[in-house]
Amino acid sequence: MASLRFVLKRLLLLVPVLFGVATLVFAILHLAPGDPARIIAGQRASTEQVNQVRRELGLTRPLYVQYVDFLWDAARFDFGQSYSISQGAPVRSVIADRLPVTIELAVYGQLAGIFIGIPLGVLSAVKQDSATDHLTRVGALSGISIPIFWSGPLLILLFATYLGVLPTSGRIDSTLFLPTQWEFMGRQLPLTGMITVDTLLLGRFDAFVSAARHLLMPSLVIGIYSTALISRMMRSSMLEVVRQDYMRTARAKGQGAKITVMKHGFRNALIPVVTIIGIQFGTLLGGAVLTETVFGINGMGLTIVRAIGSSDYPVVQGTVLTFALLFTLVTLVVDITYGYLDPRIQQ
Amino acid sequence: MNADTPTDTETDAPPGTGTEAESGVDRRETRGFFGRLRASPFLSDLLSNRLAVVGLSIIVGMAVVAVYARFVYDLNALTQSRLGTEVADRTPPGWIGPAAWNQHLFGTDAAARDIYKRCLYGAWLALKFGTITVTVSTVLGVSLGIIAAYYGDVTDNVVMRTMDVLLAFPSLLLALALVAIFPRELGLWRAVAALTLVYTPRFARVVRGAALTVLEDEYVDATVALGATDPRVLARHVLPNTLAPVTVQSTLNFGLAIIDLAALSFLGFGAQAGTPSWGLMLSRGVDNGLLTGKWWLSFFPGLLLAVTVLGFNLLGDGMRDALDPRMREAID
Repeated sequence: MASLRFVLKRLLLLVPVLFGVATLVFAILHLAPGDPARIIAGQRASTEQVNQVRRELGLTRPLYVQYVDFLWDAARFDFGQSYSISQGAPVRSVIADRLPVTIELAVYGQLAGIFIGIPLGVLSAVKQDSATDHLTRVGALSGISIPIFWSGPLLILLFATYLGVLPTSGRIDSTLFLPTQWEFMGRQLPLTGMITVDTLLLGRFDAFVSAARHLLMPSLVIGIYSTALISRMMRSSMLEVVRQDYMRTARAKGQGAKITVMKHGFRNALIPVVTIIGIQFGTLLGGAVLTETVFGINGMGLTIVRAIGSSDYPVVQGTVLTFALLFTLVTLVVDITYGYLDPRIQQ
Repeated sequence: MNADTPTDTETDAPPGTGTEAESGVDRRETRGFFGRLRASPFLSDLLSNRLAVVGLSIIVGMAVVAVYARFVYDLNALTQSRLGTEVADRTPPGWIGPAAWNQHLFGTDAAARDIYKRCLYGAWLALKFGTITVTVSTVLGVSLGIIAAYYGDVTDNVVMRTMDVLLAFPSLLLALALVAIFPRELGLWRAVAALTLVYTPRFARVVRGAALTVLEDEYVDATVALGATDPRVLARHVLPNTLAPVTVQSTLNFGLAIIDLAALSFLGFGAQAGTPSWGLMLSRGVDNGLLTGKWWLSFFPGLLLAVTVLGFNLLGDGMRDALDPRMREAID
């Protein structure tokens, strides 16, 4: 029962944070220069037309009314229509289109990080102070230091411009067209928006290969940071764990060094790594902004950049709040997982 | 990440709380900032860490380059387009092409400007704006953290819940949203302002954790009982004991600040057109040379950026290890 109360308490603590987040987003957009009515009406519109638009948008109402309205809209996840980047389209559908793209990218990046980072970290810890260890540590530090907007272009130069083996940008070859629905047991179902999943659902392997080729470089680039961070965390956590008494006990019982490290060490050392995987999800979302810009992938990140650039405030509000919500929820899940793995946290 | 970083209270016991038994010689040795620094195992640990020394050397080297560029090169000449002069645009570095090897060491960009000089000047911009960002957010964060820890209760709640809201955003996204508040003419300054707000909560958290540990110590109660005022307790006793984790956090954050400043410029929300900042040079280089194979346009600014950030990460890492010596023992 204690754990259920822990979860409920964490959920309750989320309410003021999300309220604050919404307030901050409202404040940011009302402080931002530029007149939304002028943006919608266009540069050549007369003052009357602009005023008309302003009234229609409800911008002439008192600020507190707008604020309460905004909170109500945000709670229902309704941010109105896009001003410019997908003109007239509801922000909700813009987000529904682009969010799966970013999540797909982030998941592949994270998978790359987990499958490369954890083995590297274990190796580094087990062979502490060896050449392998030093190489891995310097490599990991370099991975954290190399910006996505440098590693991305360099990979494009090498694999796309010079070798010509991988595409430079986009999500799939422009000659391939995918339907918007797929058939399952005689029914038409909507697609997920994640292109590697969709192509498989449709049974289009040519399209799947194309999508995978498009995703390879972006996933690697966004995964470099995760790989570096996870391997560092795995190493230090492993070094911490192998010094515990139960490790000495296991060894004293006559268990072999390798089995002790894997059976007792590795599993306990994973706990903080799980946390870092969650915490660093935020960095991953930030990385998605840069990766999508470099590789021309039309996900949430590129949408935010374009929306801010063209003062498309409803889209900015919607996307920024979605990101914050996603980030907060992931942090919550990490906290709960952590509390589950290590019950002392729940106190 | 971990708010409750333990501080090393043993090595730098605050002055004024020593017992009578302490010999005069000992007190003289630990007097003053540099005296204490020399006596601390922290510094010798740090200097025996080869990677940290490499990091420090990179930073010092970059700083020298930055100051050199600042005083030798004319910013206007580096900013304005040089198209139409005798220099060709997008020429490869001299050591590749037929020209003299030292002619345009890093090549020229799409506006025929010398990339080598612009890169060196970029070091000045990165270090200058990075320093400002880190310093201001450190000072703000430390003040807020100490105030929250010392006054507790309502003050603590108000401050830390506000920090929680700021921490609820992925950092680059919050910076992007905040950048929108400031007018475009501010150039890199609006990136600085946005990032300062993004980083402050991290320092506040670290400092609050460290300050709470210090405040539990009995000597703080003792100084209060002796009649010390709030500001005195905070400045003389709480602040010095939070400095260790703050210094590590600042150093690691420095690297991040330089990357994030460049990232904002890269996305078009930082430096104004023409400015020789690494992020902007990279973005122009990607636009003008990526598909045509003109690699030098984006390679060199990114290289300098990565090396500088690596320097700060190496140093910050070494500092953290020096503060936590448990990490250094080998395992069997």
